[in-house]
Amino acid sequence: MTLATNQLPEIDVEGWVCRKCGQPLKVSLVAVTYMGSSFEVELPGCPNCGFTFIPPVLADGKMLEVEKMLEDK
Amino acid sequence: MPMHPQILRDFDPHCVQDEPPACQTQCPLHLDARGLAGLMAEGKLKEARKIIDRYLPLNGLTAYLCEGPCGRHCRRSELDQGVDVPLLERVCVAQTQAARLMPLPRSGQAVAVFGAGLSSLTLAWELGKKGHQVTIYHTGPAGGRLVGHPGLPAQAWLETLEWLDKLRVVFEEVAFSPAALAEARAGSQSVYLGFDDPALTPELLGLSAAEAEVSPVSLLTSQDKILAAPFHPGPPRFVDELAAGKRAAGSIDRLLQGVSPEVARVAEETYPSRLYTSLADIPVKSTQPPADPWVPTLAEAQAEAQRCLPCQCLECVKQCVYLQHYLTFPKKAAREIFNNISTALGNRTSNILALSCAECGLCREICPGQADTGQFVHQARQEMVYGRHMPISAHEFALEDMAFINSPEFSFFRHQPGRETSAYLFFPGCQLPASLPVATESVYSHLQNHLEGGVGFALACCGAPARWAARPKLTTRMVETVRGLWASAGQPRVILACASCAVFFQAELPEIPVETLWNVLAALPRPAGAAAGEVLAIHDPCAARHDQATQASVRELAQKISQPLEELHFSGQLARCCGYGGLAAAANPALGAQFAQKRLGDTDKPLLAYCIMCRDRLRREGRPTVHLLDLMFPGQPPAEAAQRPAPGLSDRQEGRRRFRDNLLKKLWGEEPPLATEMENIIINIPEEVAARLETRRILRSDIQRVLLDARERGPIFSHPGSGRQLAGLRPRQVTYWVEYSLCPDGSYDIHDAYCHRMVVPGIPGEGRDSVSVAEGFNPEGGRA
Ligand code: SF4
Ligand code: SF4
Ligand code: SF4
Ligand SMILES: [Zn+2]
Repeated sequence: MTLATNQLPEIDVEGWVCRKCGQPLKVSLVAVTYMGSSFEVELPGCPNCGFTFIPPVLADGKMLEVEKMLEDK
Repeated sequence: MPMHPQILRDFDPHCVQDEPPACQTQCPLHLDARGLAGLMAEGKLKEARKIIDRYLPLNGLTAYLCEGPCGRHCRRSELDQGVDVPLLERVCVAQTQAARLMPLPRSGQAVAVFGAGLSSLTLAWELGKKGHQVTIYHTGPAGGRLVGHPGLPAQAWLETLEWLDKLRVVFEEVAFSPAALAEARAGSQSVYLGFDDPALTPELLGLSAAEAEVSPVSLLTSQDKILAAPFHPGPPRFVDELAAGKRAAGSIDRLLQGVSPEVARVAEETYPSRLYTSLADIPVKSTQPPADPWVPTLAEAQAEAQRCLPCQCLECVKQCVYLQHYLTFPKKAAREIFNNISTALGNRTSNILALSCAECGLCREICPGQADTGQFVHQARQEMVYGRHMPISAHEFALEDMAFINSPEFSFFRHQPGRETSAYLFFPGCQLPASLPVATESVYSHLQNHLEGGVGFALACCGAPARWAARPKLTTRMVETVRGLWASAGQPRVILACASCAVFFQAELPEIPVETLWNVLAALPRPAGAAAGEVLAIHDPCAARHDQATQASVRELAQKISQPLEELHFSGQLARCCGYGGLAAAANPALGAQFAQKRLGDTDKPLLAYCIMCRDRLRREGRPTVHLLDLMFPGQPPAEAAQRPAPGLSDRQEGRRRFRDNLLKKLWGEEPPLATEMENIIINIPEEVAARLETRRILRSDIQRVLLDARERGPIFSHPGSGRQLAGLRPRQVTYWVEYSLCPDGSYDIHDAYCHRMVVPGIPGEGRDSVSVAEGFNPEGGRA
């Protein structure tokens, strides 16, 4: 499964920080799973605490698209 | 797991849309005249020529000879005159080149032919192309009845002879005699006797009439290796001669290959077409004979071709937005759904096809072959569930809602206040109390006032969504809930307000005696406050299409309260679906809306519904619509009730909860449970955010749940610049995000809320729920 970063919309994380540790968000490669498929995607999140940040454009767009694709597999 | 092929085999013959039209089944050569007419109408002569070359022997010679028996069978002939197909053929062959001849290499097999009539030439043409050596023995000029035919251009005849020459066909003049026959028989694999050549008779060859008689299938005589043209009563027709030559050639080819010439000769006969074609609304358009019948012009041919209807059924498609949307018809859709389910690998791109049908049954009522597409689709869904590739997201929301309503904490039964037994049980269903709480309460009190023996009350969902979603375990669980409520009521007669409940009870709970609310009300006195308004077009729910008694009761009730009605053509047995049926709108919201819009296209009057889902869906698409209870037990004037907006998902859930608490308190004096901490969370949602939540199917309670968790655990991210927070939680197989600001009064301003089903690292929550557990969904977002 490919979910290349260049297909992802520009994610604006300006000004968001991790509430727990106060760190600004950083993009890193994280494992995303659905319907038994697992793949690595570059997503913003807290580099310390491991929380992933998902903005609405991503949830309504690319993620929904891939979810539908995997459900049809 | 593949879908059982028998399901497709049972369905297939019901849909006749891909059956050949009458012109083709009644053509002895089975020319695709509909295809030809379509291309000729558009002036696509080259493509049209391909059809002619494919079906008609002798490179277009047929065009000048065929008597056009199809014209008599053409559906157009019932309106004015049949399409003149030979005319189209003549123009096409006159103005195009035939395809290049590509005979197969010599086979070394020899075939002898007696007589040089049209059947002999056809046979020689067909077998010559296969590489066989054909010799035609004749007396006098070749051509039989063709000689001197007025419409046959000399040029076309010469070309035909040239073509035959290229196929190495040899013409040899002989005197017909028994000895000539014996010699030919000894020197070849097969002998064909073309009795359509007037110069040839059985006697000349020393054969009796009986010896020249043929099997109608193979045209073989009782004499070894000898085939012959059949005798047709009546005046001879060229088209029969062409067909005989083609059929005999087929037999000889089979004999040479060692295959029986008698079996598996499908559709060579002429036969009545099974294709249904409606002639309604087709204007009369008489044929215009060409100025010169032998040399028609292209314009004349195009005008004639445009008279072809063309024949097709699509009766159901004309009425079904689902089939229209997917540019399909039932037989085609069924195959696609079948193949999709049976796919072993790769994407099942047609899942959505099986999920978007409303299972409303309208197509079956319309179809000349009673093809029950809804039922087929339902069986397909069952197979998808068994095969574990039913996508969960399509139905999950509706199923969760249903499971919650039927949970022991929410569903309830009570005897009529002050009574210990119930002669009746009022079961309004899950949606009516949610959308029309006051009228539900009023009709309940009306029933109590007029029915003897006590009317108990049950709040639950019948379970129809589980059935639509084809989930057997969940359906059983819902059935058990309902049966349990009925048992605690003492097994009384159940009064149902919803047509889908009625269908569900009949199918899944046949032991429970039921009556529709409308039949019951029709027998009771008119409610005192009933109000009527302007003319309303009545909309029957599709689930009630076979319930004539209820349809009649509803009309009787309208009359009783002096409500004038307009009857629509698509009502009663032909009722249209609002899009809720089969959870179509749940799986495919945009298409679901089109169902309702199709209904609105039938009239510009405001509507009267007696199913609350129909009412709300029609209203949502913009038409003022009232529910019959709005008129019988009005909480507001009919015109206002018609404008009442359709409740959103959260409104529905909260309305249902309020209805429950109010009723329990008012009638049975039961205090509602104290609001939980979660329910006490006050959220402020601007309108544009609320609209987004509706499309994303996020409930206000989902937001409250996330905020409650964030209260304990703290939100995940914050935005110090704006003071906003972002909380995330995965309480079930969906991760919810809420962006909010905390207000000084302790309430929350919601800036946005959104969700996804994929699992990303770091988001707290259980990630599973009761429906998924019951149906074995994988908490990672798996399927069941
Ligand atoms: S009405 Fe529909 S299902 Fe029936 S034969 Fe025609 S196209 Fe097929
Ligand atoms: S209307 Fe067209 S398709 Fe129908 S029978 Fe006539 S020629 Fe054939
Ligand atoms: S939506 Fe209704 S009319 Fe259309 S195919 Fe399905 S059952 Fe038939
Ligand atoms: Zn952190």
